[in-house]
Amino acid sequence: MSVSRFIVICGFTVALALAAVIEWASRREGSRIPSLGDVCAYVMQYEVGRVPVGRLGMYGFWWWVGWHFFAR
Amino acid sequence: MEQSPEIIAEVPRPWDRPIVSVPVLALLAIIGGQFPSFSMSANLYVMGTGGALFWLGLSNRMPKRPAPYRLGSGAAWWFVPLVIFWVFEAGTFALGSTDDFPTFSRLADPVLEDRLMRSLAYFAWLSAFWGLVRR
Repeated sequence: MSVSRFIVICGFTVALALAAVIEWASRREGSRIPSLGDVCAYVMQYEVGRVPVGRLGMYGFWWWVGWHFFAR
Repeated sequence: MEQSPEIIAEVPRPWDRPIVSVPVLALLAIIGGQFPSFSMSANLYVMGTGGALFWLGLSNRMPKRPAPYRLGSGAAWWFVPLVIFWVFEAGTFALGSTDDFPTFSRLADPVLEDRLMRSLAYFAWLSAFWGLVRR
């Protein structure tokens, strides 16, 4: 394994591990950090006029993630 | 005479309980895990399941949990893993996603060739989508 590949794998691992730690911290009693679900719910409230832009964007992004990993 | 305020207790629908939703999502994930990448069946399946959840989320058929009115300053912590991930993903993508500089999906591809791992990943994707629909 090349050094660059190792660094890239470490980078992705650190990002995912940090996300797990922050999610864990958010679930502690009295935490000021919102959970990832709360952040997503907050983003999904965003509307332009009567168009639920936040919800459309979040669903569209997650749909694309599934297609990207499982179908393409 | 003053009336006491009504107490409204939301009764969860039978299909809305984890004992129902988890096995359904698991079954969908097991089926989805059988389709290889780049196949027509994989495309149709992910479009069908994702499309159904997309439609459910936009319709008012699903009871949704209340969203927070505002996010505190602690929400900024979420930018840390997001930025780290984005830096590596954008960097490796710009470098052509080679073996030496693989994007996240290039690293995931060999893992997802295994049907069990593919089904587990499918389950995670469907569960997260279901969670978004309920929000």
